[in-house]
Amino acid sequence: MHAAVLEMIYNQRNEIKENWSEKMTLVRNDVFKEKVPKTLFQDTNEEFAALIFNSFDAELEDGRAFLRSFAEKLIRMGWPLSYFTKGMQTFRRVVLESISSGSEIPSKKMYETFYEIEEWVDEMVNQLVDEYSGSWETTLHQQRLALKELSAPLIPVFDNISVMPLIGTIDTERAKLIMENLLDGIIEHRSQVVLIDITGVPVVDTMVAHHIIQASEAVRLVGAECILVGIRPEIAQTIVNLGIDLGKFPTKSSLRKGIETGMELTKRQIINV
Amino acid sequence: MRIPILKLQQYLLISVQVDLDDQTALQFQEDLLNKIHQEGSAGVVIDLTSVEMIDSFIAKVLGDVVEMSNLMGARVVMTGIQPAVAITLIDMGIILDDVPTALDLEQGLEKLQQELEE
Repeated sequence: MHAAVLEMIYNQRNEIKENWSEKMTLVRNDVFKEKVPKTLFQDTNEEFAALIFNSFDAELEDGRAFLRSFAEKLIRMGWPLSYFTKGMQTFRRVVLESISSGSEIPSKKMYETFYEIEEWVDEMVNQLVDEYSGSWETTLHQQRLALKELSAPLIPVFDNISVMPLIGTIDTERAKLIMENLLDGIIEHRSQVVLIDITGVPVVDTMVAHHIIQASEAVRLVGAECILVGIRPEIAQTIVNLGIDLGKFPTKSSLRKGIETGMELTKRQIINV
Repeated sequence: MRIPILKLQQYLLISVQVDLDDQTALQFQEDLLNKIHQEGSAGVVIDLTSVEMIDSFIAKVLGDVVEMSNLMGARVVMTGIQPAVAITLIDMGIILDDVPTALDLEQGLEKLQQELEE
């Protein structure tokens, strides 16, 4: 950056910082609704200001590393991105104000100076946004993985009998996963009967029914039998009202009845000892 | 290329070890029907464990074989259809609903036995 500008900012750093801190209290009201303790907010502001001023002196790579660790700390504390962006915007405003009020820079160079400061602030904001969105993406990715693992488990309950409990809405992607897990699980556990439990599926519309029918047909092709269990009264009503034909494979109202049927199909029974 | 058809007592066993092409499938259809006629078999197990791909034509031929064999008085069970194959068939809308299936050869033979007893 221009040496004169740097020097000016450096000379007026206390003043700038004071102005900035003052304006940041507005940000506190705005972003945090005063939920953050005042001392914590002030401490963080101190650190933020130190970081901004340091970024003048430090080498480019060092500055980035400082900024990253600061961002990571705030992400852990759960502070919103708007604290950063507003902070930087306020800082820019304060600097520009003090530059335009001071007469050290000839008006011809004013535009150039503004441009340089803009660029510098934008650079920092960009990096912060990158840090934040990176952390969001990681979280999102982890959650998606967890959801995928939870979305279609096949549980072998007896020899040759497995249960797949489904909870939550079923979309096309999940239906595909369900089918794959179902078929692979059947081969792995050598199941002859699989029970698909839809107790936890809130709505069964034509699409969900279609997916379930497809899955059960695929199950039949690999050589097992599919029983649909956990059909609640309202689900039964919707299915009939929508005119969906589930007649091709057995359906039962509860998992218990389904397991009994599964036992019958594999020629076994539960007896009291 | 011909697919070997083995005789085991009153049953015929076929293990398809290659991905079927159209010609092979039709040849197989003819061979199997001749064999059923010749041996007077009561049941047939077609094992598809090593088949990784079935297209719509092969699926139709297999469906036809089952129907034809039933006409000649032999029950057919298909075994070992791979998950990927099953998904492809379902996606193509081929349901093969008249074809009895089983997980593997062992369960296939059991199923045949049951069906013949009925």
